[in-house]
Amino acid sequence: MTALAVTRATLLRVLRDRTALFFMVLLPVAIIVVIGVTVSGFDQFRIGLVPSARPGPVAAELTADLQDSPGLRTRTYDTAADATTALRRAELDAVVLVPSGLDADVRAGRSVTVRVLVEPSGSAGHGAVSSVSAVVAEHAARLQAARFAGDVTGGAFDDNLTLARGAEQAAAPIAVRSETVNGQSDFLPLGYSYSTPTMLVLFVFINALAGGATIVQTRRTGVYARALAAPVSARTLVFGETVAYLLLALLQSVLIIGIGALAFDVAWGDPLAAGALVAVWALVGTGAGVLAGALFRTPEQVHAIGPAVGIGLGMLGGCMWPLALVPDWLRTAGHAVPHAWAVDAWTTLLSRGGDLPAILRDLAVLTAFAAGLVTLASLALRHRLTTSTGA
Amino acid sequence: MSAPTGHASSRQAVLECAHLVRRFGERTAVDDVSMRIAPGETYGLLGPNGAGKTTTIRMVCGLLRPDAGSVYVAGRAMSTAAGPAKQLIGFVPQDVALYPDLSVRENLRFFGRLYRLPRRRLERRVDEVLHLVDLGSRAGDRVDSLSGGMRRRLNIGAGLVHSPTLLVLDEPTVGVDPQSRHAILESVHRFGEEGMAVLYTTHYMEEAERLCDRVGIIDRGRLVAEGTPRELVALVAERDRVRLTAVGNLTAYAKACRRMARIEGAARSGEHGDVVELVVKDARSLLPDLLDLAHEQGVGVRSVEIDEPDLESVFLHLTGTALRE
Repeated sequence: MTALAVTRATLLRVLRDRTALFFMVLLPVAIIVVIGVTVSGFDQFRIGLVPSARPGPVAAELTADLQDSPGLRTRTYDTAADATTALRRAELDAVVLVPSGLDADVRAGRSVTVRVLVEPSGSAGHGAVSSVSAVVAEHAARLQAARFAGDVTGGAFDDNLTLARGAEQAAAPIAVRSETVNGQSDFLPLGYSYSTPTMLVLFVFINALAGGATIVQTRRTGVYARALAAPVSARTLVFGETVAYLLLALLQSVLIIGIGALAFDVAWGDPLAAGALVAVWALVGTGAGVLAGALFRTPEQVHAIGPAVGIGLGMLGGCMWPLALVPDWLRTAGHAVPHAWAVDAWTTLLSRGGDLPAILRDLAVLTAFAAGLVTLASLALRHRLTTSTGA
Repeated sequence: MSAPTGHASSRQAVLECAHLVRRFGERTAVDDVSMRIAPGETYGLLGPNGAGKTTTIRMVCGLLRPDAGSVYVAGRAMSTAAGPAKQLIGFVPQDVALYPDLSVRENLRFFGRLYRLPRRRLERRVDEVLHLVDLGSRAGDRVDSLSGGMRRRLNIGAGLVHSPTLLVLDEPTVGVDPQSRHAILESVHRFGEEGMAVLYTTHYMEEAERLCDRVGIIDRGRLVAEGTPRELVALVAERDRVRLTAVGNLTAYAKACRRMARIEGAARSGEHGDVVELVVKDARSLLPDLLDLAHEQGVGVRSVEIDEPDLESVFLHLTGTALRE
């Protein structure tokens, strides 16, 4: 009960602190957006779409297929001239002109050509044509199936097209997954799937570390020394603070996970594994935060040094850029900090569809880091509280 | 270690310290200090900065383990039953020790919870203490929005939430404005009247004289004297000193003074020989006679200074140093 009094007081203080809330929620989300947007375009082509002047169901379906393709980021233009201007300004990688007579030609059994415009100097143009061709080919296969059904069994084209659609959805699709690999054949997650979990790792740690200032401030106010005059042990005070920091780290993790899932469509993978990873990482942050609270002398020291240390460790551990991109020696050095193991685990969960057994080794290492940090922090804070000044 | 027994008083002592010793390296901060406080008694520990007052209090409150000696709070040994002993103590540290970013009420609740007060009793006591320290109208305000005096009052209030048997105040008026200081002293006086035992440290002699039933004078870690303020003054057996600045035949006046009863000494002094210094018993009652005599002798008195013995002079006498040195 007395430990909970300490926990409650710390939670109240931190959750009322607008600066703390800014660092806890707004800043991580802002950086998630910035990094997510920055790296999200790497696996998508920018396509200008000019719809058919005489739209019909077939033209509309082709347009929708292009818009829904995960490899394409489409923008619709009213006229071909507007789209061409955007292409010349390098705002697009390619322009797709949906033919005006598409519906009529398909129904009449005539061959149709979909024009795709590219800039000769644009390096992404040919890749864009390939991606558009794949979508168009898939659509054409559906039309071909409908036409074949009409030739063999008769019936209206639209009815046969509906049947072809159904057959396509019923059959197990053959999927293609694109992966970027380096020498270690490691996955390179992109977009929000990279920025959201790495920012979770980075900011839960930094926020916990900076939160050590609250402990330093409490030491300096003499509240701990006074509390020790009550029937409360130093161990109870330390436990109360540790629980408060753990809850704050978990709360921040849940917020980032929720925002990532709802706003950025991040699929966090196996819930059990993700939950275990969040819990262990929150403990790592807690240990770091309480240790900072025990070691630093002033809140200003914590605010000045804590985030710098957190960012440095984050950079080393792959929170700013994938460790797959760095030289071997740096990747090895990066795994001296817990961040690298956490990022590895999230990459496994988000990009490889991993489950709990797949990240067990990462979890074991992180658990060792957490146990070491929490133990060290508890001993250091307890020692600090029981020295003569209590501050 | 056994509980002290055989007190002269029929009442059990709320606090009984015996032969407390505490060393920091080579320095002995507290050296063989013993004291006893009865219920309803206000005991002042008077001494200059660095005399060992705070170290003594920290040992009394269980914040510091003594190298030797024992502390009992209402019969509970701090060494073996720290929890029950601490439950009876309300500690008010010298500096304001509160959460600045929590409200007045939240701070009181926090300290009440440390003493495991049940929820209903806690809320009732918080309201009572708010009333007691006159902060009811500021209950929802953050501590860092309060004035210095209000914070001091709340600092005391936080030591009262659990209704302690012994209230320990460590120099609660240091750095406080006169109005707040008066309010604090009034409160402490009231606690004593209401039956609470109070251990009060100060280096302000006038506070000890005004508040305390008994005073212990501590210097360089040793308790050099203990008793009621009156007993302590009598212990020194000092006389009042009277300085008369006057014009006229002061030599003859001093000679006439020496013939008066209760005057133990009279001499002419001063840079210009215009002062007569007298050592007397009870200067205030003797003053009309001295002025009458001056009138009879044709001496014109310009000013009178009376120097009565107080705890300051007791301290000076016992330690050879002034209290505020």
